Amino acid sequence: MTTTNKQELYTSDAAKYWKEALSDKLPAEWRVNVDEFESDIALKKRGKIEHKLFAETRLRMGAYGQRYDNGKRYDGKEVRRVPFPEEFKGPDTYWDAPGMERIKLPWGGLTADQMDLFADLAEEYSDGICHITTRQAIQLHYIHIENCPSMFRRLGALNITTREACGNAVRNVSADPRAGVNPDEAFDVTPYAQALFEFLLGHPDAQDFGRKFKIALSGDEAGASGLVNIHDLGLIATIKDGKRGFKYYVGGGLGAVPYAAKLFSDFVPEEEILPLAQAVCRIYGRFGEKKKRHRARIKFLIADMGWEKFRETVIAERAILPHDDRWSSYIKDIGKFEEKPLKPAGKKLAPTGDQEYDFWVSTNVSAQKQEGYSAVIVTLPLGDITSNQMRALADVARKYVKDTVRTVVEQNLILRWVSNDDIPAVYRELKKLGLALPGAESILDVTACPGTDTCKLGVSSSRGLAGELRARLYKKGPELHEAVRALRIKVSGCFNSCSHHHIADIGFYGISRNVGGYVVPHFQLMLGGQFENNGGAFGIGTGGVPSKAVPAVVERLTEQFVAQRNDGEKFRDWVERTGKATIMQGLQDLLEVPAYESDKSYYVDWGDVREYSVKDKGIGECAGEVVTLTDFGLKAADRELFDAQLKFEKDGPAGVAAAGTMAYRAMVLAAQGLLKEKHPYISEEPELVMETFTKDFHDTGIFHDPFAGPKFYQYYQQAHAHKGAGLDKEKVQHFLHEAQLFVEAAHSCYARASLAEPAEKAEG
Amino acid sequence: MAINLQNIQWKLHLDESTVGTPHEWFRAFAPWIPDSPEVFVDVADYSHVEDGPVVFLSGHNVCYSLDATGRRNGLLYERRQPAEGTNPEKLEESFTALLKHAALLETDPEFKVKPKFLVHDVKFIVNNRGIAPNNDETLAAVKPELSALLDKVYGAGAYTLTREQDKRQRFMVHIKANAPVAVNEALKKFE
Repeated sequence: MTTTNKQELYTSDAAKYWKEALSDKLPAEWRVNVDEFESDIALKKRGKIEHKLFAETRLRMGAYGQRYDNGKRYDGKEVRRVPFPEEFKGPDTYWDAPGMERIKLPWGGLTADQMDLFADLAEEYSDGICHITTRQAIQLHYIHIENCPSMFRRLGALNITTREACGNAVRNVSADPRAGVNPDEAFDVTPYAQALFEFLLGHPDAQDFGRKFKIALSGDEAGASGLVNIHDLGLIATIKDGKRGFKYYVGGGLGAVPYAAKLFSDFVPEEEILPLAQAVCRIYGRFGEKKKRHRARIKFLIADMGWEKFRETVIAERAILPHDDRWSSYIKDIGKFEEKPLKPAGKKLAPTGDQEYDFWVSTNVSAQKQEGYSAVIVTLPLGDITSNQMRALADVARKYVKDTVRTVVEQNLILRWVSNDDIPAVYRELKKLGLALPGAESILDVTACPGTDTCKLGVSSSRGLAGELRARLYKKGPELHEAVRALRIKVSGCFNSCSHHHIADIGFYGISRNVGGYVVPHFQLMLGGQFENNGGAFGIGTGGVPSKAVPAVVERLTEQFVAQRNDGEKFRDWVERTGKATIMQGLQDLLEVPAYESDKSYYVDWGDVREYSVKDKGIGECAGEVVTLTDFGLKAADRELFDAQLKFEKDGPAGVAAAGTMAYRAMVLAAQGLLKEKHPYISEEPELVMETFTKDFHDTGIFHDPFAGPKFYQYYQQAHAHKGAGLDKEKVQHFLHEAQLFVEAAHSCYARASLAEPAEKAEG
Repeated sequence: MAINLQNIQWKLHLDESTVGTPHEWFRAFAPWIPDSPEVFVDVADYSHVEDGPVVFLSGHNVCYSLDATGRRNGLLYERRQPAEGTNPEKLEESFTALLKHAALLETDPEFKVKPKFLVHDVKFIVNNRGIAPNNDETLAAVKPELSALLDKVYGAGAYTLTREQDKRQRFMVHIKANAPVAVNEALKKFE
């Protein structure tokens, strides 16, 4: 066993100080975790741990990489090296490069003291910003890995752990932020979320997953609540014959291809939820994919195993689990989660005539099930709050509600148990802090993942776009039609859906397009997802939109919706009734990218000053547009896929069958399009295209996504086996997403190849 | 009590009428990444929040930002990596780096109205509660070395030092000189 001199572990006087001051304030097991992580840092610095192993070790403590940590940054003209010292914290990840720390907050719970601590940590180790995530965690960016042990000790002393916040583990257990005060809930799910968190944290049966595992709990079925439908494991509270239990769902997830969770049981009694979760974890750990990351989530295990067999296997596993007292011991302590108001109940709220205040109340304040109290949402633009704001908000909490603050999946904070009589005073205090933005849970409150700002996977600037949309929508504010105000917009920087774009009325994810020799930032438009019903339905891919045209597209869509909707018609219903072809036709004039020479703004992403990427070549000597066979091929693939999606939506069972075949053809066309640069006369014959594509683009690694690797090629390979035929409706729906991703990957590959191409060759 | 000063921050306040737009600052910072001999990584726009950073230039050794913490705008110098040398050396090196970058910004063509920095109105922060709690003891430990630097900039005793009294804030000293000093003038004192 390798040993280290403990005295040399401290990376600074401050690290030594925090260790000495706080070690005995951490739960024993957490203290050991942090001590071990500190030793791992020391060992890594001495070259005693390999990069890959250290990477997984730090991920399991929530310490992620961040954009440019591979030391490469595109400056608008070329990729330049960021000259970090030659030490690494993972494969191709520089030791000194800023990283991101994700901090789990089970069910989003925050005390005022914890808020003060987050303010301090953001100042000392980050950039003075706390970022609320779409899974109720808090992220700090620009963190140095050597500051992590001190940070973990300071968090641990206030009962927060980062363990298993990332990596192939059970992630943050999220829950309805109104749990306990939601008028529509069966009962408060908070104690059960806490029990699942405590039981599964570090549990031996939850340590051997091929990918992450997300859990959510909801008190009611109809609201957005916990978004159970999009989680690996989801529980909805229900009461049967006077007994508490849960509707138990397994296998949901967004990511590139969204899967709806399946109902495992319509009633699992409260004492059974932990052992059943343990059994699910065991089966996932035992049979889940470990090598192919893109097939490693539990949703794929279920798809491969078949639902009935999966269910039977879990039930059989549950039957042989050795008894654990913890399965039910927490139930006697459920009462301790009952919150007490700080102030007496107030009177019913009524309009005051102050338009600004009344608008804020209408969007940010909701009645609790306890009469005289309200839950107040503090809207945080892009999920960000500064250290001083966080500290001041902690004081507001102390004054009006004490410790009943929670994070919200729409990247906000919520103050629960505000006496109705205090609502005006709370508003005034929030306003002083710059935290009284109206528009919570509406189209104004655009959700965005970090995107190209800090995420290594980002393709387009989700935060930049979301910021622009927010600014424009806020200008209209109360004037927006009620039906439009109720919509949700969610923007992801890539297909991975961290903003939950699949369940937005209007969702976007970042893609790129090659236009006239330049790579132009775009977003894929997704329409008609459903946030309510726990994320009840997924939107449909509608087409690529140039980033700079997105605000105009949103404006046009919302105008058309208001003008064309039937009485009371919901956006999703309008989208289905109108059809994507008609909707896209109505947007056509906005989708054209102006020539580089006439409007360069389209070639720069939102929130950036660099040209998105420029191919160093001019216009060919024929002075026409540079349109290659590949351009035509990819366009044909886009069109085929678009038509496939229409068939799926409109033409019943026959349409579903046709959609599968057409989606496969779209993949062949995309592959053929890429091949045409080298093989201009290659036919459409599927076997030949597959074989040549595999040789030229897969075996060489050219097609592999910089981050997802061969994932999209594998979609093509799998599709080649079935060719889109003989699939049921659910499988065709998934297949359409996979085909979309493959075609997008073909566009990206083409864009990368264009960028890499020397100017001379391109000209020639 | 001796303190090995680390995580030094200086904030050089701006004449509020010359702050400019976040976009101008973004455009001014962005070329520092490829063009500066220092290691800078990226620029982040936080103009959507209040009472904190506005535009943040992330660096390996040092970060700079247009900062509105305390609802006053200024250029923030923030040391990230451990600094070597004696405390007086670290203080001088960090303060002159701040001034040099302020001088660059004062002449940057990206700004329609050139930023004007108030060298007589500065904050000194030790961004590390572990080594520098915000109390009188820390002030007593830091004051002699800090005063030596400030004497050089403003003249002996021609300024006031006030420690931030909010206990939850980091150790922070508000420095007000008796008379204005231009950035280039201040820099000359270190030639």
